[in-house]
Formats: sequence, structure tokens, C-alpha cells
Amino acid sequence: MIRRNLWSKLILLVVAAFYVLPMIAMARFSFQRVPVIKLGWSTLGKNWTAESLMTAITSDRFLEAAWLSVRLGVLSVVLGLVILVPTTVYVHVAKRNARPYVEFLSMLPYVVPPIALVVGISGAMKVAGTWFLASPFSLVPFYVVISLPFTFRALDVSLGATDLKTLVEASRSLGANWTRTTRSVILPNLKVGIINASFLCFATVLGEYTIASLLLKFTLPAYLAESQGSNPQGSFSVGLLLLVVSSLLFGFMNRLSKRKGQVLTGLAL
Amino acid sequence: MPFTLFVALFLLWPTFWVFRSALQPVEGSNKPAMLEAISGQYLSAILYSVRLSALTAGLGAVIGTLVAVSTVSLNQLKGLRNVLVGYSAVAANLGGIPLAFAFVASLGMQGLYTKLLSEIGINLSDLGFKISDFSGIVIVYLYFQIPLMTLVMLPAVDGLKATHKEAAASAGATPRQYWQRIGIPLLSPSLLGGFLLLFANAFSAYATAFALSAGSSNLVSVQIRFYLQGNTITGKSNLGYALAAWMIIVMVLAMTGYLGLRRRSESWRR
Repeated sequence: MIRRNLWSKLILLVVAAFYVLPMIAMARFSFQRVPVIKLGWSTLGKNWTAESLMTAITSDRFLEAAWLSVRLGVLSVVLGLVILVPTTVYVHVAKRNARPYVEFLSMLPYVVPPIALVVGISGAMKVAGTWFLASPFSLVPFYVVISLPFTFRALDVSLGATDLKTLVEASRSLGANWTRTTRSVILPNLKVGIINASFLCFATVLGEYTIASLLLKFTLPAYLAESQGSNPQGSFSVGLLLLVVSSLLFGFMNRLSKRKGQVLTGLAL
Repeated sequence: MPFTLFVALFLLWPTFWVFRSALQPVEGSNKPAMLEAISGQYLSAILYSVRLSALTAGLGAVIGTLVAVSTVSLNQLKGLRNVLVGYSAVAANLGGIPLAFAFVASLGMQGLYTKLLSEIGINLSDLGFKISDFSGIVIVYLYFQIPLMTLVMLPAVDGLKATHKEAAASAGATPRQYWQRIGIPLLSPSLLGGFLLLFANAFSAYATAFALSAGSSNLVSVQIRFYLQGNTITGKSNLGYALAAWMIIVMVLAMTGYLGLRRRSESWRR
């Protein structure tokens, strides 16, 4: 038994190193102005600076990309919630037997890889509306689609344990009108689900590169790809920042769901 | 319902378009592009992707399962599991360009660990290793494949009943025999399902490989871009659609298998 635990510890140690080491290398590259060739014990502590990050995040190109990404993220969250919250409530309250159908539809984006989706988009829209694709905000509905599997699940899971139907009926029979029922019964029960779904959708939008780049929209990942050649240090440090921000989003979300007794991940496992 | 309409408009319609164009012939040929796409160099792109996805899924499945088993056997270490699950949930969702950057800084030509290894006499480029090549992409993909598998396997490993283990031990079985006869067979639906999920995950990835190879990778997802952008010159844009159509077909097969196996393993756990 002792020996097996030794193996277990060894395995976890190796995998932990595999998880952590690339991040360390990336941080070093971003914040230390010493070429790898000159790196040694004597130069280990030298020239640490956040200057390249500062230059990068104050540059016009970065601000342009970040501003677009944030707006896309917010709009996708809003559109996603507007579509999904009523749908989820509807299948929980009014029509329980429609749930498998909605779940099936929400899983479909899994089988259409983003690269295949964007091929279809550019083909289909070539005929129907190039004006639509000309605006960067044309990405919003597609971002809602690719985050559907996570967002629907987040909302669905948050209602899983509560019998919303009974609660709504109780509220109605106590004389509450629909507005009141929505405000004091439906939304409080959905709160964690709504927050989780928003984070998941926002994080998806922040990291999405495939669709944005093929439709030639200048989002944050596109900025990373563009400045990789001209300002590698700045671009790597922004990449690191992006990793940290999305990790924080996921970390916060997991805390929140754990308090409610569920562990949730981005992928619907 | 508005939901159905939304999905139909922004998912099903583009997908339908992919197949419609994929079934039309390429210029100067009378075969549907989808048949053209499974011959010669186009087939080799698909097979390259399949090989890469299968290898990262296989390695990811084995290592991810070992991590899950190790975590459960160290259950008395409080907090370990929380940290691991938390980080796995984050890492499984990483990917794209930032992840590619992290590995370029680690194992690229000027990478930190490339340098460290060469200090102790291991020269990666002499060994034929390049971060943008097959072996490099495999290592980078493992960064999100392993944690994903850990998350899939943890509930399954939790579901192995201690009574089974005790019964096997009191009947004189060695730990090895326990795993061979009881543990692995009980885990097999989750293992196979997880493998398929990982396969699908790697198969649909694009941004990471694209950033690693600066667009020159032989992966089918990266190749599609090439056909789409070269369409005005070569008249072969239908090949891009055809490759995309084959990707969707492979994804449907993998995900159907995964969902079927997941249903089975969940019913066993009850």
C-alpha cells in the first residue's frame, strides 16, 4: 500500500511539473529581457521587467482588439442569455418532455468543428448577405452557437435539483403575477446558472481564434497572432495575461458551483 | 421556438451548406468533391489528423486515467483533489494561441527547456524534434488532453467500490489481478468513451496547431484554410468544403460513440 502511494505521488508530481513548467517558461520569456542563449546562473536575476507588457497593452492595436473582444463577449453573453434562459425555464416548467430535444440541439455544436462552421458560414453568407459578415458583430450569433453546449448545461444543471415547476405553481396559486414569479422565484433559482453560463460564454469568446481569423476580424487572439512577429515579448505577455484572466474566470466559477454542490467544467462531460 | 430557429439559422444552415458544396464537383472533374477529398494528398491530410488525434487521445487517456487513479488513492491528502480538479477544469479549456506560445517559450528553438536540455547534453533539434512537427503538436495537445481525461475518469474511479477490492483481496487476488479482472473491465466504458471524446477534441482543434506551425501544418483543419483562401486561383474551394464535411462525419462518429458509452457507464454506476 505504501509502495502504491509512492507511485501515485510520483505520477502526480510529474504531471504537475508538465502543467506548471510551460507557464514558467512563458512568464520568463515575457518578463525577462535576457535572450535564452545568454541565460545562466549569473544572469538569472537580471533584467526582469514588465515593460513589454506595458508597452503592448497601451498600444493602439491592442486596445482596438481588446475593446472589440470585450464588446463581442458582452454581446454574446447577453444574446445567449436572452435565447437560453426562457428556453431552459420553458422546458423545466411548461414542457418537460421537450428537454431531451433542446439538449440534443445544444450538443450539436460539438460535432461541427469551428473550422468547418466558418467554412459553412462564409459559403452560406456569400449568397445571402455579405453585408452581414462585413460587421465584426456578425460573430456574436456564432459565438453564442459555439458556447451553447456549455451555457445550456450550466443553466440546466443549476435547475437540476430544484423542482421549478412546483415552485412556480405554488407562487402562482399564492397570487403572484408572472412578473413577480419571475423576479422572486425563477431568477433566484437560476442565479448560479446564469453567472456560470455568462463566464463560460465570455471565456469562450476571449479565446476564440478560428472563426475570427477566417472572417478577418481583429479580436484579441488575432492581435496575438499579428504581433507575434513584430513584438514577441509583448505578444507573449499578453497571451499570459489572457491565460490568467480565463483561469480566474474558470476558478471563480468552480468555487461558485461548488458552494452549490456541483462541479462544473466548460466541457459537458 | 426561437431557440430552434436560432440554431437552425446559425448552425444547421452553414452545416447544410458545407455538405451541399462538398457534393458538387471540383472544377475540371465530374466527381463530387467529397470523393476527390479522399484521394491522394487530401486523404493524407485527413489521415495525418486522424493519426495525431488518435495518438494524443491514447496517451492522454492513459496518463489522465493514471492521474485520476492516483488522486483517488491519495484521497486522505485533503485539498489535493480540489486543486487538481480545479486546475484540470482550467487546463482542459486552455488551448489556442496562448498555449502554443507557452510551449514555444518552453520547447521552441529558443525555448527555456530546449536550452536546459542542451546544457545536459540532450539536443532536441538533433533528435529531430521540432515544436511545429508531429511530435511537438502531440506534446502541446497533451496539455489539455490529460486534464480532460482526468475529469472524465474521476467519477468512474470513484465509482469503483471498495467492497469489490476487499472481496478480491480476501479471495487472494493480488492488486495486479484486481486491476486486470475487475478494475479495468469496470472502467472500460469510461476509458473508451474518454478516448473518443479526446479524439474528437483533438480532431477539431485548429488554433493551437496553426499558431505552432505558422499555418504550414499538414493537419486537415489547417489545410481547409488553405483551400478556402486559394479558391479564386485554383477553383478548388469545394475541396475545402469536402474536407470540412469529412471532419463533421468523423466528429459525429466519435461523439455518438462517446455518448453511447457514457450512458452505459452511468447506468453501471447506479
